[in-house]
Amino acid sequence: VSEVEQLKRRLERERQARKAAEAIAEERTREIYEANSRLQRLNDHLEDLVRQRTAELAAARDDAVQASQAKSSFLASMSHELRTPLNAIIGYSEMLLEQADEAGQGDFVPDLNKIRTAGKHLLGLINDILDLSKVEAGRMDIFVEEFDVAAMLADVRATIEPLMAKNANGFEVRCAADLGSMRSDQVKVRQSLFNLLSNAAKFTKRGRVTLEARRLAEHGGDRLELRVSDTGIGMTPEQVGRLFQAFSQADASTSRNYGGTGLGLAITKHFCRMLGGGVVVESEHGKGSTFTIILPVAAEQTSVDGREPPTVGDTRPTVLVIDDERATHDFLGRELDARGYRVVHASGGLEGLRLAREVRPDAITLDVIMPEVDGWAVLRELKADPALRDIPVVLVTILGDQEMGYALGAADFLTKPINAETLARVLGRYRAGDGWAEVLIVDDDPVTREVVRRPLTKAGWSVSEATGGCEGIAYLSRSQPAVVLLDLMMPGMNGFEVLKRMRDEEAWRDIPVIIITAKDLGREELARLNGQAERVFKKGAYDRAELIAIVHDMIARRTAEARARQGPAVDTA
Amino acid sequence: MKGMVFTEFLEMVENKFSPEIADRIIEKSDLQSGGIYTAVGTYDHREMIELVSCLSSETGISSAELVHSFGIYLFSRFHTMFPIYFEGVSSSFDFLERVEGYVHIEVRKLYPEAELPSFACDAPEPGCLRLTYRSARPFATLAEGLIRGCVDHYGEAVDIQAEDLSDGAGTAARFLLTKRDAPR
Repeated sequence: VSEVEQLKRRLERERQARKAAEAIAEERTREIYEANSRLQRLNDHLEDLVRQRTAELAAARDDAVQASQAKSSFLASMSHELRTPLNAIIGYSEMLLEQADEAGQGDFVPDLNKIRTAGKHLLGLINDILDLSKVEAGRMDIFVEEFDVAAMLADVRATIEPLMAKNANGFEVRCAADLGSMRSDQVKVRQSLFNLLSNAAKFTKRGRVTLEARRLAEHGGDRLELRVSDTGIGMTPEQVGRLFQAFSQADASTSRNYGGTGLGLAITKHFCRMLGGGVVVESEHGKGSTFTIILPVAAEQTSVDGREPPTVGDTRPTVLVIDDERATHDFLGRELDARGYRVVHASGGLEGLRLAREVRPDAITLDVIMPEVDGWAVLRELKADPALRDIPVVLVTILGDQEMGYALGAADFLTKPINAETLARVLGRYRAGDGWAEVLIVDDDPVTREVVRRPLTKAGWSVSEATGGCEGIAYLSRSQPAVVLLDLMMPGMNGFEVLKRMRDEEAWRDIPVIIITAKDLGREELARLNGQAERVFKKGAYDRAELIAIVHDMIARRTAEARARQGPAVDTA
Repeated sequence: MKGMVFTEFLEMVENKFSPEIADRIIEKSDLQSGGIYTAVGTYDHREMIELVSCLSSETGISSAELVHSFGIYLFSRFHTMFPIYFEGVSSSFDFLERVEGYVHIEVRKLYPEAELPSFACDAPEPGCLRLTYRSARPFATLAEGLIRGCVDHYGEAVDIQAEDLSDGAGTAARFLLTKRDAPR
């Protein structure tokens, strides 16, 4: 009995224990489920949080990008705003210098020179700061071109020699014979050398500065070594350590004693790195310093290709003669040619319209009575076309319908038989000014226009001015200058647009354009100008004699070409 | 006290003595649980004292001796049921050093309410290990049995000297383990 009882009890205990275990298991299962739910909620919340943070970060990044763009555009506009008045200061001081010389008022020369030098100095500082900020923003572009190293060094020497003389320093350039040419950014190589040489000149008195250049044959491409050594004040190791940092000079007293912003070496270092090389320094306090630039002779090819040689056409004012009578063509062709016009002939209305669009003449003579399409229809068509409506149209007719002609937009009226003198007088009204305006300046800044105009006028050219892009284009549709000097940053139509319009128009395509700008041009902008403009001058930073020489060359070239083409180009009828 | 200790104790009694004795001590003891234990439950530790005391009168073996033997038995069961805690362990000292810092921490993760004894250890000299047991409950002898079970498991020759730190209450004790072949 007791054994059965005992087994029963044992079974009952086991059963109860099982139930207890099941209850505990259920309880734990529920707890685990709840814990999972809590985790799930936490996870969702975390994902929300991550989304929110991501959005915040994206907004912060956008803000930063925007701020960086704002900074870039601020710098660009600052460069423009600062260079424009500096251009006036430098330009006027140069003009006054010449006038003072001519008027025998040499007393003013030293003062004027100070103004000019200070202006140039200020411009240099502005350029340095802009260069550095561009480098730091990663916006400094490299323009690789092939150039002769010895010629570049000779140029550097000529520029730097006056600076060497200032502190009574001897200057020696030692070039190896095998320097050859290099493919690199010439401007940056030159600027790096200028920085090192002007430092050497500045920190050496009655000493010696040496520039040595040699080509190092190396695996993976030759390298060029440019070594600038001086016998100047030198530097301590601590000073050398701070050397290539922006805004840092050997010590605070350096800027008091020697001037400068301390940007030159930082820029030099950046430039050399960008060109695939570097710059190192050895220096001994009190003995002198040696800076060595080593550059690959072939820098990474990231350049905009060289410009195409400009083509220049017949630049005489063009008159389109639309008439169905052979005799009128013969007469007008002869008379106009004799008066310095290029004549394009159309024997009917449709041909006239086509040629007007193709040739964009400076003026049109239009016969009213023609078969098929008469003069009125042609006139209406011409005035309805925005590209043609500004071309002055002189109606030639035997009828006296002057009122209707004027109402339709005719500029003037001639009655057959045409009197040659009357014709010349009428057309003369639609040529700019009294003669052929040889140089057109398009710039919104009156000071710049004057600074540019004066030496050109003095050099004997006729100069016209347009105060903006639209005015410039309007001028071009009336008269063709030999050269256009064009500003880029103008309200309304800017210089890029003017240039594009000019290059799109066949009649203006060949007019050489020289850009004179205060704008700091980026790679993209230079690419846009490439092949479109002859030269780019930076306001305040160019040599007026060089500008005049270039304008002179262009006018000479265009005149010669026009003369060579005069014969065959006249008759197209 | 974790239910597993009770279920293992009763199983040991059934195996080493007899199912009758196991039934009898349950019936004789005044147990709140009625002797119904599951390994996943938790029960008053006084029931264990009661059961041991009953077993002692039933068998004539002292409570201390019974608890010590149960400790040795329980260690072998631990080793069977929880092999994960023994992975990479090659000696008794290895394992005992890990009880406080690893085994008890893992146990707390599974049973946050478990009231575990503290089991501090230090090595006063090479070949020696000093373990200090402190608990709210008087199971120093059980701890000593477990330590012995551990040493036996690894087949080592280790002397265990026990020193009571609780005036005979059995809630605190220091165990000095000395390897017999260790240079003294």
